[in-house]
Amino acid sequence: MKAARALLVVAGVGFGLWGVWLMRDFTSERLVSAGIWLGGGIVVHDAVLAPLTIAIVVVVARLLPRYARAPMAIAFLVWSTLTVVFIPVLSGQGGKPDNDTILNRPYLASWLVLTAVLFAVALVVALQRRSRTATPAATAED
Amino acid sequence: MRLPTVEDIERRIPRPEDFESRARGTQLTARVGVALGVAFGICFLTGLWSHAQYDPPGWLPIGPQPTQLYRITQGLHVISGIAAIPLLLVKLWSAFPRFFIRPPHGPRALVVEALERASIGALVGSSIFMLASGLLNIAQWYPWDFSFRATHNAVAWVAIGSLLVHIAVKLPVIREALGAPINGPEDDPTAVEPGSEPEDESPGENESVTRRTVMLGAFASSGLAVLLTAGQTVPFLRKISVFAVRDGEGPQDLPVNRTAKAAGAAEAAADPAFVLELIVNGTTLTLDRDQLAALPQQTHELPIACVEGWSRSASWTGVSVRDLIEMAGGEPRSDVVVRSLQTKGAFGTSVLPAAFIDDPRTMLALELNGETLSLDHGYPCRIIAPNRPGVLQTKWVRQLEVKS
Repeated sequence: MKAARALLVVAGVGFGLWGVWLMRDFTSERLVSAGIWLGGGIVVHDAVLAPLTIAIVVVVARLLPRYARAPMAIAFLVWSTLTVVFIPVLSGQGGKPDNDTILNRPYLASWLVLTAVLFAVALVVALQRRSRTATPAATAED
Repeated sequence: MRLPTVEDIERRIPRPEDFESRARGTQLTARVGVALGVAFGICFLTGLWSHAQYDPPGWLPIGPQPTQLYRITQGLHVISGIAAIPLLLVKLWSAFPRFFIRPPHGPRALVVEALERASIGALVGSSIFMLASGLLNIAQWYPWDFSFRATHNAVAWVAIGSLLVHIAVKLPVIREALGAPINGPEDDPTAVEPGSEPEDESPGENESVTRRTVMLGAFASSGLAVLLTAGQTVPFLRKISVFAVRDGEGPQDLPVNRTAKAAGAAEAAADPAFVLELIVNGTTLTLDRDQLAALPQQTHELPIACVEGWSRSASWTGVSVRDLIEMAGGEPRSDVVVRSLQTKGAFGTSVLPAAFIDDPRTMLALELNGETLSLDHGYPCRIIAPNRPGVLQTKWVRQLEVKS
């Protein structure tokens, strides 16, 4: 295992250096732009996306009853990650005004439907879970 | 009122132990990480393959067979990249508390920690870069000053390199985490009293969300992201993929990547005085469009497969390039330089390697799906060959030159 790990490190460092070598001819303008995108991704995730997610989870976990937490958590996970995937098509950026074969679907409407369906399903599951946990307690009291 | 000291601030920064959710944990991180690693591996290999198809190295025999190959490899490239996005986000979420580990004491430990942080920084930065730039590229949105293809390629090596280092560093942890069940005994639902509603819960605590739940959520999201976009290359998903950049429709039943106007070819292409130049051994033969149409025609079903991941098959009718070259007295075993009327953008010139000329299906197309090529599809004539990246299927062809 030690040899395998050493091999992985050597190959990994080699690959990384090759990637840096491939950028040797880039103009400073291109390098700066690439650097902004490389560092910017980390900043946007670590300083914005991650704290925001944690804040939402903390607040919502406090508000939601326990039976609703797992379904809502899954709905939120799926909704938030899919929304990130769909940012380019939802943004209205990209494509060309003279080409209507690209970005030619009603993305916002689809996203609203997706949002509604995800949280509606989560709500139904949550209500089912409530009735399932409530029934044995009710019979026990009889 | 006194100013806060460094210690005060330090006390306010969370520690890894402050993240109480039991849904996090190496059992989850490792499992999502394996799936992410597979997706990255497919992206990397298919990406290298795409670069090889653009600039074929001499030692690699890239030819017209299999006809659908580039369509499949590039479709897979974009599909696995999209599948990776939810997985990366969940993996970053699950490992996020480690961001707050305090630097160790002692110079040696500090150096080791700094090196590991640097490799993680390279991995996270390059991973986000690859997925973000690829995702924006498929929507033709370019909010940057670097060249997409060259930079996406260079950073891919950094991403895969730092991934290999990361795997090497974490291998013992990964093995242990994969060997353990994803949910610990504390997550056993039978151990939780049904219907109990503890009042004194701390805010982050959430017993009902287990690591398995988050893992299944991550995989579900990844699969949904694929289903909702892959229709741009997988025909039977076209109706389901409501978030695909292209719905597969367009003039003559085929999408357009770049219009004649955007390529600066509209005027010259519509000129009735157009002639095709055929250069063989220094002599030029010219053919107008009627003469091209009078030559023996053939029809083949061939895909257009774009680097942006969309592809669609169409029925093309035209003259075999091999026939044209033989007619002009050229050797069919030569590369052919194709020059376009387009004045804007890259790829106004492409090279058809001899292996493609040898295939009779490589043609100068005059018709698409039974109609005269529309201006945006390359009127008066365009190249269409099996197994080629779309951007090399040169439109508005004005000249074919046989290399001696």
